[in-house]
Parts: sequence; structure tokens; C-alpha cells
Amino acid sequence: MAKVKIATDWLAGCAGCHMSFLDIDERIVKLLESVEFTSSPITDLKHPPEEGVTVGILEGAICNSHNVEVAKRMRERCQILIAVGDCAVFGGVPAMRNLCGTQEALKRAYLETESVVDGVIPDSPELGTPLPMVTGIDKVVKVDLFIPGCPPRADAFYYALTELLAGRTPVVLPPELFTYD
Amino acid sequence: MDTVTITINGRQVDVPPGTTVLNAARQAGIDIPTLCHFPSLIPIGACRLCLVEVKGQRNPQPACTFPVTQGMEVQTDTPRLYEMRKFILSMLFSERNHFCPYCELSGSCELQDLGYRFGLDHFLFETYTKPFPLDASHRHLVIDHNRCVLCARCIRACSEIAANHTLGLGNRGAATLISCDADAPWGESTCVSCGTCAQVCPTGAIIDRRSSYMGRNRQLDRVASACNRCSVVCAMKVAVRGGRVVRIESDWEAPVNGGLLCERGRFEPLHDERERVTEPMIRREGRLMAATWDDALEAAAEKLRGAGGADLGVAVSGDATNEALYTAAKLFREDLGASYLGLLNRNVPKLSGRSGTLADLATSDLVIVVGVDLMKEMPVAAYLSKRAVDKGARLIVVDDGDNGLAPFASLTVPTSDIASAVAAAAAAGRPVVLHGGVTGETAEALKKIADKASFIAMQPGVNAFAATALGFNGDGRAAGTKVLYMILGEQTVGQVIPGQFTIVQAAFRSPAVEGADIVLPSAVWSERAGSLTSTDGRILKADKAVEPAGSAKADWEILALLAQKMGKKSLSFDETSQAALIEIKGKERA
Repeated sequence: MAKVKIATDWLAGCAGCHMSFLDIDERIVKLLESVEFTSSPITDLKHPPEEGVTVGILEGAICNSHNVEVAKRMRERCQILIAVGDCAVFGGVPAMRNLCGTQEALKRAYLETESVVDGVIPDSPELGTPLPMVTGIDKVVKVDLFIPGCPPRADAFYYALTELLAGRTPVVLPPELFTYD
Repeated sequence: MDTVTITINGRQVDVPPGTTVLNAARQAGIDIPTLCHFPSLIPIGACRLCLVEVKGQRNPQPACTFPVTQGMEVQTDTPRLYEMRKFILSMLFSERNHFCPYCELSGSCELQDLGYRFGLDHFLFETYTKPFPLDASHRHLVIDHNRCVLCARCIRACSEIAANHTLGLGNRGAATLISCDADAPWGESTCVSCGTCAQVCPTGAIIDRRSSYMGRNRQLDRVASACNRCSVVCAMKVAVRGGRVVRIESDWEAPVNGGLLCERGRFEPLHDERERVTEPMIRREGRLMAATWDDALEAAAEKLRGAGGADLGVAVSGDATNEALYTAAKLFREDLGASYLGLLNRNVPKLSGRSGTLADLATSDLVIVVGVDLMKEMPVAAYLSKRAVDKGARLIVVDDGDNGLAPFASLTVPTSDIASAVAAAAAAGRPVVLHGGVTGETAEALKKIADKASFIAMQPGVNAFAATALGFNGDGRAAGTKVLYMILGEQTVGQVIPGQFTIVQAAFRSPAVEGADIVLPSAVWSERAGSLTSTDGRILKADKAVEPAGSAKADWEILALLAQKMGKKSLSFDETSQAALIEIKGKERA
């Protein structure tokens, strides 16, 4: 049987969810017998292949126009999209900025922070444009499975992937793996 | 009709009339989710999570406020209710900042628990992002309105438990906020810092500065304790982590103070920065020098052996536990024949009349407070009096100066006019008299209602009730004795009389410690097991929550070790506790 292809990517996140996934430790060897990780931010190949994957995993919130593009690209190229971590699911820590507003947050970070000298708010065309509201990815693309947690436990990743491999779609994680923090 | 029969989910349940559907269900072991409900508070049906289907009712009804009627048929767990509850919960999550990772309450938050229970793995609605204010103007407490679910538990606790009515609701609709005194910064409001609101808040909206972010609930151990800050002696729970006291909470099940503590009990012990006595000391060549326990106890024993009964005195502060008082009474009075047993705090003699308890305040229709400022001295007794006033009782304050309860009294009279208070009590049904030290004339006037009223002597010393019962009734001036043994505990009262050989067991540095010849370090409230007797005769036990500072020991243990040194019999803690209880209760009956 051909291996199931999985691609991961991250948006406005801290990489913590990817790290937590790696905490499945030696079980990854077993997992690799049946899956192939085509691309991820922590491998040589960064972008999900154009021919598509079965499972796409996204970490991080939607903060700027770049995040929207990455999320949409992953959605187009995968059959099952999993939002992992509080940022991808709810907005998480980046969404704290909603409480003061994007412009206020940029001003505070780039102009008013005590260590700043001659600060400027970056506006390079190469950068994504910050959005007025930080959201979870389900506000931009359809999400098939949510794994909240900050980060989700390694067991939650393992549970979700093995369930999918067994042909079952976990609707909600079992209580012991379901956490908001 | 004594009971009403209803069916819940097809099961028959018999409950007294007037029971709510929620309580009937709980009695039958049927779980209905709740959020705004709290057992000690009057239910208001604010959150709607407890909605149930009642046959014959067009819409689902909140179980927490809906009373049962004969033959009622209730469904608590239908798919429609599940969807409704999930919808309500999603609305609650969408209204404000309910992100868990950076919230103090994550792990013990009732909103979070419900999110898990209903499998809320993403927001069903867009979150409302208008920031709400955060009020950190209070000395001990912080309210972050962004985490508030408007369950009004804090408001109800402030009114029903603390009878203080500081908290209320401000604004309307989605902009509704908990507000203090209509719209004052919390720190400048009429708040009395009892902290009950923080204890009932189901989310991380009200947190206390001292304990926040010092450990998740699951990392804390709870130890039963009794407050030693005044003679009301409130039952409390101490939250401990890593050998340190993190937080003090009230015990909801406690018969008198249930849910209630005051600023002195809940917060002040956590900010006690007085210098501790951490090791035994013996005065050598005019200076206090560190010594081993063995040497210090031997030196003390030798001195006590050498002193005749007439030369020997013992003085206790109100902080001594029942066990210490019993052990001291046995050693000094019975074994050594000490001529003087004194109490360093003023003792309030009980007025003749029926002895009441603070629980009587709950059913009283007239409360007379005479010769004591409860707001200052015993705040929880003041709150209980105010609660009685809220229930319709009249409060009469008899005081010649300012009294913290005067603003809540229907009548405030000088002691010269005690007669009018007595006349009112004579006309009342169940009067309660809370008194401090009073003059002979006042005592005489109060005799008129001796048969009718409950009298409670409000002792200024914490454990003065037990001290008096065990015979420590000297006035604290032990002149004439050559050797004086002082049991100060956490108090810093007492003076050393020049020429008198003084042995002091104390937890903190004080003038008496500085002047002593032998100093024995004693543990503070959280570091020792022991029981205290409240001013109305309740006996409350405290367990040891943390290890003592330095080599300090429990007050009773020091005395037991001393008795052993002197070749006298000493009892175990449990034996001492039991013997003390019998002695105190026996004396009380006599």
C-alpha cells in the first residue's frame, strides 16, 4: 500500500506544536512505515507538493495576508486539513493583539518599546500585510479536525494520525487529550 | 404534604416541596451542567446552562431556580438541550477573552471544564474583541473584566455572604461590567477585602495578587486549618505548594463562617514579614546566644526545678493552642504548683445570661453590640451581624466613640443610654448581645434581658475562652514571681520585669524576647497542628500545613518536651487534644 502523504506548515505560531509532535519520539519510526512527510517548515522541502497530499497540518493563527495565502495553499493541496494548537484553533497568543488593535500593537512593538532607537514599522512589500483581526484558521479555510492545546500533547497528534490511518475520523479528541492549554 | 414526587429522566425522585429541579436531580445523582450556580448562594438562573425540559412548559426552564411540583416530569439530557447548552457555551466563549493558556485559572476554571465537557474544540462564533478594563487598584485583588462571564457569583457573595454590597452590575447588554459602589475603582471602594468574591469566581476574572500564577489548582494541596487572628476562629483551608503557603481559603462547610474570612485572616498572614525567632537562645554574659534545643530546655528545666511554686508564674497570650494551654496548666499548676497563671490579653468576663453562639445571629431579630468595635477587632462577627441586618434584624450599637458597625445600626447610643437598647431587646423575639468589656452599670442593665438574650463575650485574645477555662485568669502582671514562663506564640505582647528570670517561647522577635533569659522558638499557625477555641466555645482544629521556620516547634510540643526534661509525664498530641477538649468543654458546662 502506498504511503499516506502528510504535509505540515506554520503560520503565526511559535513552532511549539511541531516540537510537541516530535515528542511522539520513537513512535515516529512506526508511523513512517505508513506515512510520508512530503514537506514541512523543518525539512528541506517547505511547500506542500502541487500534486497534493492526503493530510495537511497547520500550526499558528491567521495574522497577516501571508498566513492567509499559506492556509489557502494547504487547503487546496490536501484532502483532510487539521488545525493544531490554540493559535490555529482559536487565535491563541497572537490573538491577544485583538485586545488592543493591530496598529496599537505595531506601534508598541516597533516604536514605543523601551529598547527601540529610531524605530520604524516594517512595511516591506515582501512581508505579509497585518490583518486588523487575528483569528483561527477556520475563519479563512474549511478545517476538518481541530486539535486544541498549547501545545497539543504528543499523544493527541499520535492519536489523531493513527485514527485517520485506521480509516476513522476523530470528531473530538478523547477527554484525556483534550486541553486548551 | 412532606414530599413532592417528580420524575427526572424517567426516574422517580421524592424531595421536600420548594426544592429546585437542580437540587432534586443532584439528590438523585443526576448531573446537570451549571456555571452561575453556587451551592452557598441564592440561585438566579443567569447562565442558562442548566436548562431542562419540563413537561407542560413551552420553553426549557433553568433547573437552578425552577421549583418542583407534584407529578412534574423533567428531562435533563435530550439532544435539544445538549445543542442549546453548547450554543449558550459558545456564546459565552465568544463574548470576551477566554483564551486559556495565559489564564491563572486554567485547570480549575468552570467555564473551561464545560468547554471540555461539550467538546468545544473551536469557536463556533466570531469572538468579540472589544477590550474590557482591568481593575488592579485593590491591594489584594484584581478583576479582569475580559474573563468575566457575568454569573454574578461575586455580587451575590458580596451581598449574601459578606453582607457588604460593594459589588453590583454596571452598564447594559454586552457592555455589562461588575462594578464597585456603582462606579468606583475597587481600591477606593467600600470593599472590606474579605476575598469571598475571588473564592467564588468560576473563571479567572477575579484573582488575588499574592497567590496568582504560583501554581495550578492540581499542584496545590489543601490543609484544614483554623484562623488565629481573632477569637471568632474561622475554619479555613490552606493551599500549599512546595512547602509554602500559597493561599488561604474559607471552608464552605464551616458551620459559622462558611465561605467567609476577613482581610486579616485571608491575606495578612501571607504578608507577615515580622522577624522570626528561629533557634533556641540562652542569655550568656548579658547577650542572647544561640543554643541547642537540649541545652535550652535543660537550662529552663533547671531554673523551674529551682523555683518554688510561690516564685513561679506562667503567662500566656491568646495565641496559645488548646493543647499548649492544657500542657502548660498541667505542668505549671499541677506538677510545679505555680502561684500565678495569667493571660496577657485582656479577658472579657462573661456577663450573666444565656451563653449564645455566633450561629444565633442567623436567626436573631435584634443584635446589640456593646463595648467592642467588631469591624476592627473581629470583622467576621461584624459581617455576620450585618447579614442579620440584611435579613431584617435590628442592630443596636452601644458605644461612646466611633464604631465600625454604627453606619449599619438602626440605633447607636452611648453607654449611658444602655437602657434604651435593653428596652428594645426586651421587646424583641430572639435578641443576641455581643459584648466586650463593659462597666458594672452596663452589666447590671443587661441583666434585665439575661433570660431572653444570647450573650457572647467577644474576647480580645484569640484563644482566651480556652485560656480562661483552663485557669489562666491572672491579669498579665506577674509581679512577685521570680521565674516567669511566657507563651507568646505569634503575639508580641508582654514585657520582661527587671529581676525576674524570664523564659519566653515565641515565634517573632519582640521586646519580651529581647529581654528574656531563655528563648524557645515556636511555630506559627501554618507550621503546627493544634486546636483553638472560639469566643463562643467552638473548638476548631488546624493541621500542620508547612514545616516550621528554622528549628521552631509547635507551642504544645515545646511544653511537652520541657515536661519530659523535668521527669514529668507528657501526653501525645491526640491525647493532649482530647484532654484539653474535655477540660474546656467541662469548664464551660460548669
